[in-house]
Parts: sequence; C-alpha cells; structure tokens
Amino acid sequence: MGRYLRTYTSAAPLSVFRIAFGLMIFGSVVRFWSKGWIDDFYIKPSFFFPYYGFEFIKPLGEYTYLLFVACGLSALLVAVGWFYRTASVLLFLSFTYIELMDKSTYLNHYYFVSLVAFLLLFLPANVYFSVDAHQNRTDSYDQIPRWTIDSLRLLMGIVYVYAGLAKLNSDWLLEALPLRIWLPGRNDLPIIGFLFNYRETAFTFSWLGALYDLSIPFFLLNRFTRPFAYVAVVVFHVLTVILFPIGMFPYIMIVAALIFFSAGFHQRIIAVLSRLLRLPAALVGSGKKKVYSGRQARLLLSGLAVFFVVQLLFPFRYALYPNELFWSEEGYRFSWRVMLMEKMGHVQFKVVDEKGQQIMVNNEDHLTRLQEKMMATQPDMLVQFAHYLRDYYARQGFQKPEVYVDTYVSLNGRLGKPYIDPTVNLAQETDSFTPKKWILPFGDEIKGL
Amino acid sequence: MAHLSWKTVGFLVVFVSFIWACSTSKDTPDPGPDPNPAKPEGTDRKAMLTHLADNIILPSYANFKGKLDAMMTKSEAFAAKPDKTTLTDFRQAWVDAYTEWQKVELFDVGPAEAQTLRYFFNIYPANATGIEENIVSGTAQLDVPASYPKQGFPALDYLINGLGESDEAILVRYTTAADAAKRIAYLKRVTTQMKTVFTAVQTEWTTTYRDKFVNATGIDVNSSTSKLVNGYVLHYERYIRSGKFGIPSGAMANGTPAADKVEAFYKKDLSLTLAKTAHQAAIDFFNGKDVKTGQEGPGFKSYLNALGAKDSQSGKSLVDVINAQFEASKAKLNTLKPSLYDEVKTNNAAMVAVYTEMQKAVRMLKVDMTSAMSITITYADNDGD
Repeated sequence: MGRYLRTYTSAAPLSVFRIAFGLMIFGSVVRFWSKGWIDDFYIKPSFFFPYYGFEFIKPLGEYTYLLFVACGLSALLVAVGWFYRTASVLLFLSFTYIELMDKSTYLNHYYFVSLVAFLLLFLPANVYFSVDAHQNRTDSYDQIPRWTIDSLRLLMGIVYVYAGLAKLNSDWLLEALPLRIWLPGRNDLPIIGFLFNYRETAFTFSWLGALYDLSIPFFLLNRFTRPFAYVAVVVFHVLTVILFPIGMFPYIMIVAALIFFSAGFHQRIIAVLSRLLRLPAALVGSGKKKVYSGRQARLLLSGLAVFFVVQLLFPFRYALYPNELFWSEEGYRFSWRVMLMEKMGHVQFKVVDEKGQQIMVNNEDHLTRLQEKMMATQPDMLVQFAHYLRDYYARQGFQKPEVYVDTYVSLNGRLGKPYIDPTVNLAQETDSFTPKKWILPFGDEIKGL
Repeated sequence: MAHLSWKTVGFLVVFVSFIWACSTSKDTPDPGPDPNPAKPEGTDRKAMLTHLADNIILPSYANFKGKLDAMMTKSEAFAAKPDKTTLTDFRQAWVDAYTEWQKVELFDVGPAEAQTLRYFFNIYPANATGIEENIVSGTAQLDVPASYPKQGFPALDYLINGLGESDEAILVRYTTAADAAKRIAYLKRVTTQMKTVFTAVQTEWTTTYRDKFVNATGIDVNSSTSKLVNGYVLHYERYIRSGKFGIPSGAMANGTPAADKVEAFYKKDLSLTLAKTAHQAAIDFFNGKDVKTGQEGPGFKSYLNALGAKDSQSGKSLVDVINAQFEASKAKLNTLKPSLYDEVKTNNAAMVAVYTEMQKAVRMLKVDMTSAMSITITYADNDGD
C-alpha cells in the first residue's frame, strides 16, 4: 500500500480528463439553456421540491440565469486550467446548487458530475497542460501520484458496478422489466426497430446490460481487454442515446471512460491537441514530479478514504427501510439506480378545514408536468407538496387546513393501486429519513439486491 | 499475458454474444407459454394512426360537418324569419349537431389542439349576462378566453331555449323586441364563428395534417400517439368525468351541488344523451371502432393487446380491465333520467356514483394504459422514473 501511494505516473490522463469534463459540462449548460429549460424548470414554476436539509437552496428568479453563466464559465475555465482552483470551486458549487434547487429534475448523472467536480477540487488536474501551469500560476509537473488518477477510476467503477448490482432483481432479470415496456416504443426506428417487438430483445438487453455494468470497469482496467471494452462502452451508451431520452449521461460516460486509458494514449491526445491548436511546447514537459508533503498527503488520502467509504455504503441505506425499495423509494436516489422502473402515478389532493371548507386541488395550477409526474410516485415529494398546499390554503382563508391525497401508482406493469394512506393528514406528517408509515404496502415482492 | 487471457476471452464471448443476440433474436418470436402472447404485428403504430385518422377521426369530422351545416341552414332560416316552425327546426338541428359534437370533441390533437377547438364549441355553463352584453355591443371579441362561454353550443342553448318560458316569449325577443335585430346578428356571429373555426380544423386535417399525423410514429412528447393518448385521457377526465358529472354534482369541490353547471342547461332533457354519447364515443375510440363499418380496427385496444399489457399479478389483460370499468360506468349512467339538472336536484347520489365510477376509469387510462404504452408526457431528460 505504501509503495502504491508512492507510485507516480504521467499527469496527462488527469489533464485530458479535466479538459473533456469541463467541455462536457459547458456543453450541458448550453444545451439546457438552449432548450429553454432554465425558464421552464427553475423560473416559471411557483413551487420547488428541495432536498432534505437543503431547503434554503432555491432558484434565484431571473438571476438563475447568472447561476448557469457561472457554471458554464467555470466549466470552461476548468477545461483550459485557467484560475483552476477558483474555477473548480465555483463549478462544484454552482452545479451542485443547480441540482439541489428542485428534486424533480434529479438525474443520476448530475450527481455523478457533482461528485467528480468535488474530487477535482482536490486533484492536481491543473499542473500539466494548463494555462495556470503555463503562466506559472501554479507549479508545473509532469508526474503526479498514481492514486490521484485512480480515484476517478474508482468512482467510475463504483457507478458502473452499483448500477449493475441494482439490476440484479427479479423484475429486471426474470421479467425484462421495464425494458419490455419501453422497447416496443422504439419499434419505428429504421433497420433495428422491428427487434423491439420481441421479448427476447428485452431479455437480451436486460441481461447484457447487467453484465456490462458489472464487468466493464474490470475490462477497462486491463490493458489487453481495454480497446474492446471501450468499443463496448461506446456501443452501449450510443444505444441508450438512440433508445431513451436520457440526456447527456451517455456522452459523459463515454468521455469519462477515457480515464482508464494509459499515459501514452493521453500524451498522444495532448500532442495532437498541441499541434492542432499550435500551442507552445513549453505547456508540457517540465520533467518535475508532484510530491505532496507528508501532512498534505495524509489529509488528502484520509479525505478520499472517507469519501469512498461513504460512496460504497450510502447506496445500501435502503436496506434499513422495511418497505419495498422501488415502491417507497426510501433510499432510492444517489445510488446509481438507472433505468430500473416504469413508474407512473395519479394523485388527487383534497384540502379540508375545520369549518368544512373543502377543495380538490388541480395539480397543474401549482406544478409543471414534470414536477407532477415525479411527485406522483415519490412519497417525500408528496408530503412536501402537501405542506405547500397547507400553507397556500391557510393564506386563502382555510382554518388549520388538512391535506389528504388519493393516489394510484403503477410500477413496472403491475396494475395501479393506492399508494398513500388516504386517511392520513399529510399536513401533519413530516419528511425525514425515518420510514414513512403512511405508504401503503406494495403487495408484491421484487427479489434481489 | 497468459494469466490475463481468461478476461480477454470472457470479454470477447460477452461482446460477440451481444452482437449475435441482437442480430438473431428476430428468428425466435415468443415461444413461451405466455397465456397472452404479445403479437408484434399489432404494435405497428403507423397502422394504428392510419386507422384512427382515416376510419374514425376524419369520418367523424365529416359527420359533424354534415350536422353543423344542417344547423347553419336552419339557423339562417330562423334568422330570416323567426317563427315557431323555424325555431323548432333550428332547435332540432342544434340537438343533432350538439350530439354529433360529442363524437369529435375527444380528438384533442393537431389542428383541434392548436385551434383550441373545444373552447369555441362547448365551454359551459354559458355566460348569459356576457352574451346579453355582447348582443348590445355587437362587436365584442369572440377569440379571447373570456368569450368562450359566450359562444358555441351552450350560447346557442341560451339563445334558443333560455330566453323565455314559452316559445312565444322566446320568439318575441327575435321579432318585436327592441334589440331583436342585434340578437339575430349575434346569433349569426355565433354560428358563423363555429363554422369558421371548425372549417379551419377540418381543412388542415384533410390537406396537410393527416400525413403528418400518421407519420409521427414515435412515443415522444411530440408524437401523434403521445398527443392522442394525452388528449384522450384529458378529455375523459376533465370533460366527461368532471365537466358532465363531477362539477354539477359537487363531487369535485366542497360537496356543494351546482345544478346550473350541467351541459345543455336550458334544454335540460338533453344532458344525459350528450353525456352518454360522449362516453360511448370514448369507449369506441379506445376499441378502435370504425365509424363507418362499426368493425374494430387497430387502436388503443389492439395496441395494448399486442404489447401484452396485463396486470402482472392477476394475469388479466389490461384491455379487459379497462373495458369492464367502462361498462361499470355505463351501468351507472343508465340509471340516470334524461335531465341531469333534475338528477342533481333530486337524485344527486346517483350523479356522484357516476363520477366515482368514471374516476376509476380515469386512473386506469392515465396510469395503467399510459404506462403500458410508455407514453412520454414531458420533454425533460429521464433516467428511469
């Protein structure tokens, strides 16, 4: 272990990663903006679903655009390594702030981006092939400790393997759900479309998807299997782009997986980049080794150790809850559970008060379609909205409003059933990490991890 | 290298089998002992959209155009010479057209959605005060949201059934009353507006939209299937369940009945017919029933069956579950008397019962059907619900 920690390697992979990651985030921000989503998701809605403990994080009205400007700019600065330390802090904070503003836009890859941005705060990604190094804002180094690059590989490995473990359940493996529901929707694709009419295709994709997730980091680590593995990465993620409205995730993973390639590979990328952009040769090749002082190294390494222990344990927190995970979603997020459920719900809120006033809420008066869809199947969001309604109708003259909800939720093709106890006054319930007793039983079992 | 080769081999096996599996699974269509096997040929959305457009939507529009034109003729005759005969004829034509309307209101897709056809035809209760104001002004805007309850079938209901206790009293308003000319002018404006808006919708359908419709075969938020399903479900939920039963019976808000919010409030005994017609049209559309032949063709029913949609716990097909629920709603509808206004006044529990039964169907359409078809309702990125 001690010997491993004193192993040094080329700084090139980390620098290429920094550039690619920065550019991907910049691209994501531009894409998000150009689709009008800043306005649609963060400015127009009258209510937002905050994360537990982060209730103070809210969209900033029109200034939300500035937040995205800050995020995009800092991503570019990170990419070129200009004022890297400041930029990486700004990138991590702005991106994470954006993601925390509203739960209904939660995507696993946003969480992944936040985690990578967090790691980049501490990694020496700017000591090589960066504006900072060139302008002597930071010392320039050719060699960095191997664990700095391996920490990113480990994070990628966790994402894949945990996504694979999450697929080891009876719905996914034995029923090919939800792919069996989703794939026929793509049967109008040219050439391959007809395949999606067959259950065998869904089963094949399910099993291969699970195998892929579980094994790909190991094949990427090995230098003999790596080229094939990378082809598989590209094929797999391009397929998901074609089949599902999954956003930037596939592209980010395709680019991020380059971190597994050798120093030589990345040095060639840098050589090509230098030639194309006519960069001065002085950007690379100081010949120096980045050596952390004993105290620095101890601090960084113990920090990383804590980070990874949390990463390894956090996704298993669901085991502490008695309810079926896919049904109650207690401990579902931040666990690399991707594309596992076709879940849809219909919720009708009723607000009543002591004087017998009663109103049936039209969700669309308060929520966007995305928010309504997400809330309908997630109990913590249902209770948050119930509290919003309680306060809203209190202002409308209701005396001590009580909020009840009539729910109907379908999960992976099972006929819908009531989800929340309709006799429970949600105005009085609180969202917390304790099990939610007012979630009605699933009445079925999904076996597996 | 030797100690690593098993990984290489293992990987190659996986990779090759992936390619192989993708390219060969077409040769083995569903040999399983599934009691409800998926029928791939039924999942052709283009065939479904073509049938729905050519054999249901367009013929329904054509039928409605016939009734609307007949009503236009009768209303012109009435306007030219308001008397008992022309009024009776006009009323009958209005009843026929209003009933036929119930068979097209559900196609809330394409030009009908873009033109918000429904808003110009059937927003009720009619705003009688507003209509009278419009009659006085003579030039009121009829294209703004505030004007919706002052036009269409509900406004005509007020104008031909709601102006007096007797036919004589009504005819006076069109003959000897001081504002008779203005009233006739407004009547013409209302019918002309209906004709103009509907013609725009039907023309676009028959010229350009039909091809666009059958070729948007995806299931994304802009696809025909998605728009059709969402429009259909919204119609069943908001304009059949809520509009015709939930709101008048008070089941929706406060539990306070509001009999004056029934459809065809002035004609009164037509309201049940309208509701039954609309409900049957929704059922027939679900089952893909050809308007001309009465035969079922590719539609939501056959598509769901082809997808193999069923309750995984009971094994019952989703189509059967939904159709059974439609029948349950129909059974409740059949207990009602022709005037829903009277029913709200004297037998409101039966009205609420219809609402409750329809609510069960709403959930199945909105959740089970939409989910089984994996219809997208937002354009946001999604990595699995």
